Amino acid sequence: MTWQTFLFLPVAAAAFGYSGYRFGILFRLMKAHHGKAPMRLDQLPQRITTTVVNVLGQQAVLRKKWVGIMHATIFWGFIVITAGTIEQFLNTIHSSWNLAFVGESAYSALVFVQDFFTFAILFAVAGAFYRRLVLRPEGLGKSKDANIVLIFTAALMVSIFLMNGFHLSSDQPWFQNSLPFSNFVASIITGFGLSPETQHALAVFFKWIHMLLVLGFAVYIPHSKHLHIVAAAPNTFLKHLPREKAMRPINFEDESVTQYGAAKITDLSWKDTLDYYACTECGRCQDVCPAWNTQKPLSPKLIIKDLKENLYKNKTAILAGKTDDVTPVIDNNVTEDVIWACTSCRACEVACPVFIEQTDKIYDIRRNLVMMESRFPAELQTVFKNMEINGTPWAFNNSERANWSEGLSVQTMSQNPEIDVLLWVGCAGSFDDRNKKVLRSFTSLLKKAGIRFAILGNEEQCTGDPARRAGNEYLYQTLAKANIETLNRYNVKKIVTACPHCFNTIKNEYKDFGGSYEVLHHSQFIAQLISEGRLKPSKGLDETVTFHDSCYLGRWNNVYEQPRDVIKSLPSIRMVEMKSNHEQSLCCGAGGGRMFMEETIGKRINIARTEQALETKAGIVASSCPFCMTMMSDGVKTKEMQDKVKVMDIAELIDQATS
Amino acid sequence: MNIYVCIKQVPDTETKIKLNSDNSGIDTAGIKWIMSPYDEFAIEEALRLRDKNPGSTVTVLSAGPARVVETIRTALAMGADNGIHIETPESADNNRAAKALAGALKKEPKVDIVFTGKEAIDDGAAQVGQLTAEYVGIPHVTVVLAVEYGATSLKCKREIEGGAFEMVETPLPALIAAQKGMNEPRYASLPNIMKAKKKEVKALKESDIGTSDADQKIRYKNFQLPPAKQAGKKIAGDPATQAKELARLLHEEAKVI
Repeated sequence: MTWQTFLFLPVAAAAFGYSGYRFGILFRLMKAHHGKAPMRLDQLPQRITTTVVNVLGQQAVLRKKWVGIMHATIFWGFIVITAGTIEQFLNTIHSSWNLAFVGESAYSALVFVQDFFTFAILFAVAGAFYRRLVLRPEGLGKSKDANIVLIFTAALMVSIFLMNGFHLSSDQPWFQNSLPFSNFVASIITGFGLSPETQHALAVFFKWIHMLLVLGFAVYIPHSKHLHIVAAAPNTFLKHLPREKAMRPINFEDESVTQYGAAKITDLSWKDTLDYYACTECGRCQDVCPAWNTQKPLSPKLIIKDLKENLYKNKTAILAGKTDDVTPVIDNNVTEDVIWACTSCRACEVACPVFIEQTDKIYDIRRNLVMMESRFPAELQTVFKNMEINGTPWAFNNSERANWSEGLSVQTMSQNPEIDVLLWVGCAGSFDDRNKKVLRSFTSLLKKAGIRFAILGNEEQCTGDPARRAGNEYLYQTLAKANIETLNRYNVKKIVTACPHCFNTIKNEYKDFGGSYEVLHHSQFIAQLISEGRLKPSKGLDETVTFHDSCYLGRWNNVYEQPRDVIKSLPSIRMVEMKSNHEQSLCCGAGGGRMFMEETIGKRINIARTEQALETKAGIVASSCPFCMTMMSDGVKTKEMQDKVKVMDIAELIDQATS
Repeated sequence: MNIYVCIKQVPDTETKIKLNSDNSGIDTAGIKWIMSPYDEFAIEEALRLRDKNPGSTVTVLSAGPARVVETIRTALAMGADNGIHIETPESADNNRAAKALAGALKKEPKVDIVFTGKEAIDDGAAQVGQLTAEYVGIPHVTVVLAVEYGATSLKCKREIEGGAFEMVETPLPALIAAQKGMNEPRYASLPNIMKAKKKEVKALKESDIGTSDADQKIRYKNFQLPPAKQAGKKIAGDPATQAKELARLLHEEAKVI
């Protein structure tokens, strides 16, 4: 025990005590949220694997090469250096406490790795500064917080080198040669010709600088976006594991619930809060957001940041339990335009290296706006009413639902329930002239392959997807329950549909309401029929085709290859990919209920996507979704390219190539 | 203020109209019923007026068969406070409906203002509003786009032919028939939908207010569907011939010039 012990203990206790107090507040804020979120502790082996791979292994971070390497260097370095910091603390408390018990060679290896990473981190921090201050990528934005953290990090490393340098030059410990970088610093220090006592005193001085910086960092973290170093790992562990996901249902039977959706920050859930804590504002979500990239006010990064700010602003009221004093979540930053700009394409969620679920928050806020406050874009009112009255977002009478199949002798379930598969037509296939043709082609394929199928005819109603995405959960559930009742009454087991929105809703979201079916998208079904030899595309098509991924097929359900396999089955076809494809594909702009809303701000998303398609010089843009079909066709027409470029559904491509 | 709104239940605008077996009316089987859209403007106006005058209530009235209670509930879900249903037969005409509505209004302790749509979209008669006002004995202003509310009178901006407007001043109580453009009707919030399910709708019979079959002025028979749309005609030739032929067709066939 020396003076260092007596100085260190109270200072460390104060720093960690204050830091712990701040973390306590963050935890209490998290617990004060009353929105429901599942505590995902199922599939533990998978959760552990994903956490090891993505946190320790930095897999998701490394999807961006150079930034990923910089981050991984700092992260791995911090882990090994933290071992040294712990040793340093122990050593300060009692001079004989250290990690030498691991054995000479292991200890040498440890200090070597620490020494290497101290240098590597400095290098990475320099790279990070270069990126922030010189390259300045748009998604990163300006952040004082980030600069402070980088300065902290650099200062920590410099203090280690100075501490080690003076220590090595004055004390020459046995492991001196295991620290090549520090040894280099020591060799420079020796050149100054200071007395051994002065050098030793400076070693102690820089050790204290380093320790105080560490303690300062501990105090700073809970105030900063650097909080991600604590929240990212649990957020990864608790992530939604499969790509497929359903929106959180609301139980309308529960009369104790009086607030639907999120009016205030506390109406969201604890998991949403953990998401804000885990966010380090890297901007990868913003870089891929179709809304942001077409000058809409929505940025998935900023909405997380703004919600976090709203939470902190209301901290006192929340902790005091005065929920009435908590200010609304729609404020100066999170405006209605922000909330309605989302297409629910989930590009942000796929891009996020710490698995934040941005869309959950947006859709909970929409629910409050629609169901509690009746505040939504005016054009949605007609859509809701059409769905309420006629079970379709468009103004059509449900009795005309099967008119598309005129002359095709397609049977309904009420006429013939002996089937292999139910064809779910969807509203676009039923009422939209262009998409009716797609359904006629798909029907023709089913017949060529000898599939026994039927439709529900006017017993089918909209799945409710546009209502759900537009925040009208009540209307969604009314339609979903009616459809499930019909499907279960006919004891339907297997469903095929040409609409990815219907596909996703029936497959992933009807489960919560008692509807479990085997659901296939027509791309999957056609791919299967081709591989089984039941469909044989034989007529060659001398064309270049580019495939536009539907978000609800791709990012929502991980179906990327089957539609491509279908296209590639056409003899003599050439396939090219657009600049953004597969997981990185750009939305057409119609998801999230946007199909039925006006797009008045910025560039139209479908034009941005059409431009990517036209860049490929393909003569055919293949689609597998009725909304994408409408958006891409409109885009091609706006660009006045309809004479050179055709937008076709994959079913139409195969239909014209088979006999 | 005691505010009243008279509404009518009509077939949804997407309905494919079919006639009943004796052609005395339409076949109501399978029809989805909605509130006549002009009545939505009337309700919205009533709700806004109520909210500006604390202590006021909005009561919705509708005459018709039992199914119209559903539409009264829609109005309650929009935010109206009370509902009154006067049961009249399916075939009741405008006069009978107006007399029934007026009878129900006269049973109310105090009526300050009555709103309704300028017409119902099913028969498009635009009769019931004015008739009701006459039977109650109050003035009426129709096709109203905006109202300036005074303590004892109203200034109404109403649409007249030729795209012009006129201002009409009337003392209260009065009946106002709403035109499209008066406001943007609200979408019912979920808490209000839930509350509306539990609200009581007062049920009146024709015998309670003294109307009967004797008030029926119109007997319906021999309804016919409009002729099916014919294919368009393309007029060929040089511009002069085309113009001549078009003029001839408009004069002789269409008989519009």
